[in-house]
Amino acid sequence: MTALAAIRVRLGRLLREDGLSFFGLIMLVLLVLLGLVGPYLPIGDPTRIGAGPRLSPPSWVFPFGTDELGRSYLPRVVEGIRATFLLSVVAVVITAVIGTMLGMLAGYFRGFSDHLVARGADILFAFPAIIVGLLVAAVVGPGQISAIAVISIATIPLFIRVVRSVTLGVSGRGFVTAAEVAGASSGRVMLVHILPNITGAVVVQLTYAMSIGIIIESALSYLGLGVQPPQASLGSLLREGSAYLTIAPWLVLSAGAVLSVAIMSVNLVGDAVRDGLEPLKGRLLT
Amino acid sequence: MSTPVVELEGIVVTYRTGLLGGEGFDAVRDVSLSIGEGETVGLVGESGSGKTTLGRVCLGLQRPTKGTMRFGGDPFGGLRQRRGQLSIVLQHPEWALNPRLRCGASVEEPLLVLGVGSGERKQRVAAMLDNVGLDAGFVSRYPGQLSGGQRQRVAIARALVTQPRFIVFDEAVSALDVSVQAQVLNLIADLQKEHGFGALFISHDLAATRYLSHRIAVMYKGEIVEDAPSETFYGTPDHPYSRALMSAIA
Amino acid sequence: MSKGSASALVEIDDLVIAYDTPAGPIRGLDGARLAIGQGETLAIVGESGSGKTTLGMAAGRLLPPEARAESGRITVDGVDVVGAGNEELRALRRDRLGFIFQNPMSALDPTMRIGRQVARAIGGNPAVETIAALLRRAELDDPDRVVGAFPHELSGGMAQRVVIAMAIARKPKLIVADEPTASLDASIREKVMVTLGKLRGETGASLVILSHDLRLIARHADRVAVMYGGRVVEVGETATVLEQPAHPYTRALIAAAAGNEKPGQRLEPILGTPPVLTARCEACAYEPRCNFAEPVCATTRPEERDVAGRGAVCHFAESVLTRAGSQREAGAR
Repeated sequence: MTALAAIRVRLGRLLREDGLSFFGLIMLVLLVLLGLVGPYLPIGDPTRIGAGPRLSPPSWVFPFGTDELGRSYLPRVVEGIRATFLLSVVAVVITAVIGTMLGMLAGYFRGFSDHLVARGADILFAFPAIIVGLLVAAVVGPGQISAIAVISIATIPLFIRVVRSVTLGVSGRGFVTAAEVAGASSGRVMLVHILPNITGAVVVQLTYAMSIGIIIESALSYLGLGVQPPQASLGSLLREGSAYLTIAPWLVLSAGAVLSVAIMSVNLVGDAVRDGLEPLKGRLLT
Repeated sequence: MSTPVVELEGIVVTYRTGLLGGEGFDAVRDVSLSIGEGETVGLVGESGSGKTTLGRVCLGLQRPTKGTMRFGGDPFGGLRQRRGQLSIVLQHPEWALNPRLRCGASVEEPLLVLGVGSGERKQRVAAMLDNVGLDAGFVSRYPGQLSGGQRQRVAIARALVTQPRFIVFDEAVSALDVSVQAQVLNLIADLQKEHGFGALFISHDLAATRYLSHRIAVMYKGEIVEDAPSETFYGTPDHPYSRALMSAIA
Repeated sequence: MSKGSASALVEIDDLVIAYDTPAGPIRGLDGARLAIGQGETLAIVGESGSGKTTLGMAAGRLLPPEARAESGRITVDGVDVVGAGNEELRALRRDRLGFIFQNPMSALDPTMRIGRQVARAIGGNPAVETIAALLRRAELDDPDRVVGAFPHELSGGMAQRVVIAMAIARKPKLIVADEPTASLDASIREKVMVTLGKLRGETGASLVILSHDLRLIARHADRVAVMYGGRVVEVGETATVLEQPAHPYTRALIAAAAGNEKPGQRLEPILGTPPVLTARCEACAYEPRCNFAEPVCATTRPEERDVAGRGAVCHFAESVLTRAGSQREAGAR
């Protein structure tokens, strides 16, 4: 059975047997769907000022209440989900591609390129994401591009380290040596023999990186370094709401609750994927 | 006698410890060995004796620190240049084949690298699988669906499909059960009679090596301490270390 | 079995162990029967899938969670292993069983010095001299250095000697060794086996060796049990079984092993593959691969019989025995 098929089977069984992961998957799917179709839902315009009274508590018309400009908060939260997820996904996918490539090169060729890439990853890993965020924002200015850059810098060491170490393992296997002896080029060895055998590890790192990405995006937007007004993300909504915490707590509560659910569901699904890939963990004998 | 397929002369391999050199460690010290066409040379010794390193030298995977290596009388050159002429069969049947490729694709790969056309590739893969005793259905099966012995047969088919002049068998039967081991040993012997390749059979198992090889080289701490016809190893070999190995199978 | 007497330390009676798989249960043992006497060295041989590891590990109930005892009994020193409670089982494993695995490096904790690991195996708070003395008994040359070493600083042979020392630390009644020398260099296998045999003698324990190395067994085991299809198909004195096999499978195993052949002689592989049993085998499990098979073999499950001083599970053991003498000549064809 190939690794991907194994994930599918294991994941399927785990989700059926493990209610918590199943709940996480449902929530994640709901959030992603909400983000995707949000702009077409009849819940109001997230940017319309004075749609209702200022800072009004949740009601039938405004389920999440309204903010200090009288904008309906529900469409703003949906817009926030969309922005946060989109940014994190784009950033993490770009990072995964670059990180996997670098990790594979380092693990396969070893030697000098290995030292260069591995030490580079260590250096990036040593910087706290928020400090990097301030630096990047100072250089390119706050906005989506700098948010993506910061998420990439913070999560790329995850991919490089893990991909490098699994590549080291796969490179030592017989089929790689056999291909080398047959005269296959390094590119062919990496694409045909190594990459398909490390996808499992990459998928696991993707789920880690995804939850880190969401947290970083929210933190940056909260600090005003990410998404810029009038656009909303879950982080920037938290910031706007926090100014009125005492008189309109529903703003922070609704954005905060959605953010927590988002991070939790990504982690739950990630755990299920990891467990699916390591079915032998905890066994006495194999 | 024609020129040997592989000729090693005064080979030394020094592994450097640490990034900047420092203390060197000689894995192989001054080894000379030649392997003729249609000849199987057994290479036995304990782990760490340098036999795997010597095998890598023969395949051009490891550049010797000192000494010369000739392939069919010419300097070795690069692996790309020698493609189709060399191959290897390794231990660990579970890792011998890429688990993500169908067996047909695994066997086909050396031909693909060589630039053989698609129609001829399919034909030669089918013929080779038949040659190692597997039916055509194995082309579309994944290694995970095969037993250890079947996987090792596919690995042997892959090694032979380009009709190479030289094959290294590195602990190729060590992980197999006795009954399957006998099948694979007989298969290798039969295929060699048919195709006439030169072979280096690396193993810590003197019994299997003795059965298959024409000549046996015993390696101990990086040196070949005895190089004798395999009949010697059914009697009493000269070197004390060879005799210690014999004690395990007497 | 043939020697199943009151003095038996381990008694295995009609034991059936099944492994649950997604495709349904598969039988690891299909009515295995074996008695192991006090102080004897018994070797269990067979291909992978024959059930030898399942049988060996069942003595300490060291089986994966998907394994299940369906019927039968296994008692070790009077303890019913299948029915034992967790506490009783722990006590049995700790005080009366010692296990030695194929790869000593994976049996040792890489983060802990040897001295501490051995101390744990002894139990309590043993003095350094006690630890060193135990290691010296396992014929480690420099026990004082070994005590302070980490596993990766030892050679394979030294590590296996440490594992052997740990296995006998509490004077077990039964030592189970699963391919104890398979990962070691050929030149030191014999010495490690000699040490193991010597310590078995000192402690008076019974030793069970799971192995497919017939040569090793011939030199070190008092008795041999040959397993096939989850059953013990032949059991008896080592010389009796290996020199004059009464079961066709034993015969085939001997003929397939490299090492006994004369120069130029061809090995006889056993064609086909071992069976995968999903239920009780109502025929002879070896019938499809057997050169001696008759129609009755495919329809009737053979039971164990006493044949020329050993137990054999074969309808035609007598004729196998009489033709065994011509085995080598048959191999030379």
